[in-house]
Amino acid sequence: MKSTRIPTLAILVAALLLVAGCAGGGTAPTSEGAGQNAAGGSLTWGWHLPSTWDPVTSTVGQDVHVLSLAYAALTKQDVDGNAVPALAEEWEYNATGDEVTFRLRPNLTFTDGTPLDAEAVKHSLLRGRDAPDSTIGAQLSVVTDIRVDSPTEVTLILNQPDYQIPLLLSGKTGMIVSPTAVEQDPDGLATRPVGAGPFALDEYVPASHATLHKNEDYWDADSILVDDFELRVPPDPTVAVAGIQSGQFDVAVIPPAQIEAARAAGLEVDIIDVFTVRVLDVNNTVEPFDDPRVTQAISHAIDRQELVDVAFFGEGDPNWQPFPRDYLAWNEELDELYAFDQDRARELLAQAGYPDGVAVTLTTQAENDPLAELLQQQLQEVGIDVTLQVATPGANNYVTRQYPFVVDSFSGRESPLQALEVLFGPEGLMNLGRNAPPEIQEAIDVARSTPLDDPGYEQAVEDAVAAAVTTMPNTFLFTWPRIFARDPSVQGFEHYIGTQRFEGVTVGR
Amino acid sequence: MRALRLAVRLRPAKLALAVLGLVVVLMAVGDTIAPYDPLHQDTTAILAGPSAEHWLGTDYVGRDVLSRLLAGSRLSVVAAAEAVGLGLLLGVLPGLASVYFGRVFEWLSLRVMDGLMALPFIIFAIAVAALLGNGLHQAMFAVGVLLAPTFYRVTRAAAIGLRQAQYVEAGTLFGATRWRIVRTHVWQKVLPTVVVTTATAMAGALLVVSSLTFLGIGVQPPAPTWGGMLASDLGYLTQRPFGPVAPALLIIVTVAALNALADAIRDATGDGAPASAAPLHEEVPDAISAAVRR
Repeated sequence: MKSTRIPTLAILVAALLLVAGCAGGGTAPTSEGAGQNAAGGSLTWGWHLPSTWDPVTSTVGQDVHVLSLAYAALTKQDVDGNAVPALAEEWEYNATGDEVTFRLRPNLTFTDGTPLDAEAVKHSLLRGRDAPDSTIGAQLSVVTDIRVDSPTEVTLILNQPDYQIPLLLSGKTGMIVSPTAVEQDPDGLATRPVGAGPFALDEYVPASHATLHKNEDYWDADSILVDDFELRVPPDPTVAVAGIQSGQFDVAVIPPAQIEAARAAGLEVDIIDVFTVRVLDVNNTVEPFDDPRVTQAISHAIDRQELVDVAFFGEGDPNWQPFPRDYLAWNEELDELYAFDQDRARELLAQAGYPDGVAVTLTTQAENDPLAELLQQQLQEVGIDVTLQVATPGANNYVTRQYPFVVDSFSGRESPLQALEVLFGPEGLMNLGRNAPPEIQEAIDVARSTPLDDPGYEQAVEDAVAAAVTTMPNTFLFTWPRIFARDPSVQGFEHYIGTQRFEGVTVGR
Repeated sequence: MRALRLAVRLRPAKLALAVLGLVVVLMAVGDTIAPYDPLHQDTTAILAGPSAEHWLGTDYVGRDVLSRLLAGSRLSVVAAAEAVGLGLLLGVLPGLASVYFGRVFEWLSLRVMDGLMALPFIIFAIAVAALLGNGLHQAMFAVGVLLAPTFYRVTRAAAIGLRQAQYVEAGTLFGATRWRIVRTHVWQKVLPTVVVTTATAMAGALLVVSSLTFLGIGVQPPAPTWGGMLASDLGYLTQRPFGPVAPALLIIVTVAALNALADAIRDATGDGAPASAAPLHEEVPDAISAAVRR
């Protein structure tokens, strides 16, 4: 036995060295091919698979990235988050702002051959509003009726002036589903999407991958430069870089800790400033959070820059509100709203009746979450004794609200006002206390009824943000980027603040 | 008992006992000899390499890795011991009872144990943690229940062989009570087998605990465990490529020592050992490693 061990070991080591050598050499040709930008080919994206392929019943905000591969909406978001024409080439509001008419492009079809006309749009949006299992019903409740004016003209009749509709419809809410597919097998949409998006689904293996091919009938098919698209569950962070080097992925999402490794391996790293913001969800009907001074003390006790530097390797921007710095809804007056000030935190705690400190339980979604562990130490320093608790896997706290104080992240929404409603609305999923002062809704309604090109629009939105952020317990921590590592041969990859899109992307290898 | 004394004299057993003794010492006084508070974060020095101040470097929030390993020993080993203790209790007593307490109990207990054997360790522990709350005790309760069939089968097999032994029959003829026979004649003979099984089960349970805490089941942060440290180090391989080595080595060495000890005890029991002791060596680690794989 003994005599065979050493040669075996030697062979293993030799094999490992050989593999390592191959991997190292493999990067060279791909970087040479970077300039070629050949159209066609296949792109593999390491990203989360959707909770369902039906935009009406999707329960996860980030599904929008994947669903927009298979579906097109009346509008889409540009890189800055503005609504621009998609299936609709233009739209027009009436004088009072409570009716909006979309003019569709001619001769649109779904991937099943069904014509995508005004009737199909009406059918799809009404299903979104009325289906019993719809998760977008609340957002479409502003639509009282839909009028088909002609095969290419459809008018949404609203219960109040609302200039956010084109923005709202650029996400999951506005994705148009084939009426034929809905009538034949609505449940089947969960695994077999039928839309009019840039790609059509070939195969879907839950928790593994999905393969799609280019939809030649997509309204903007000329901008889609790859023939095939593959979606794979994100690689484990430790092997993401190797996965891209070996060709398993062309583009993959990576955590900040892997940026250095990706760059060292010769990969391109895209650090994209997006809507995502880390936030502490707080239920203000539960002691001690029922006293706003306690949540203010928590906010003052947090050194946000340290969170960014340690937990996210400096990739992030301390924030006291739900929108990133460059976005129109970002209110400059709220910056440093609760600046890091431990004395102030202690003072507020004492005023709230906790001069000797207070014990709270902070729930986190993940084991080894540096963010939660840092928060625990920071809050400890002002006398807030934090016990960390890992949420039971599968618990949906937005619905059950069993945990009153949770480390969370908000992905943003297509419309800033929709975002405010999710966070602060009396029925908002992230408003764990399910209560809100009426001033917030009033401020939202003022902004909603202001046309987007009105000079007062930006101020109206910022006022609504201020009304919410200064009265509600949600504690915003920092905006954090979406980070992709990609093979250098992948070109034309744009940085979208909202939904990631693949128009103009080419793969060289 | 003689077998145990013999076993301890074997060289592998001495080595294994020395290693396990060290682990026990770490468990007992780890807190006091740790150079730093295992929970104290120094955010100015995260993911640092080994240095004079931090022998094993610091982790992702700047905590001293050596201090965390020392503190983690207690949680990891106590958790494994908890599971094995429960397994012993739920396995050995019914195992003996199934031989001496009549056919109804025998039939019932056999069916229950067969049922439990069908359940995979990790998945059952995750399910129990989801049901009863994510804590180490809940997870170890699940693992302990699933360890019971191993002890049950081994004890029962050993005891069945003894039921027909002449000195047991003689004892019965002399009017000894069932309790006395089990206590004085059977238990003495079954004990070495149970000890061997305990050692291997302990090794298996340590692996299960490490796997579960690696997956984030059963431990609440920031409490350190060997498996949890291994998992967190994997996320920062670029910054600390040697990170997983220390917790992994501790797990490997402890598990190997337990297995070596079990081997030595079995070897020492020699020919006199009940027939059931022989397959143990393969059965138990296989059952547990299969569970881990699942």
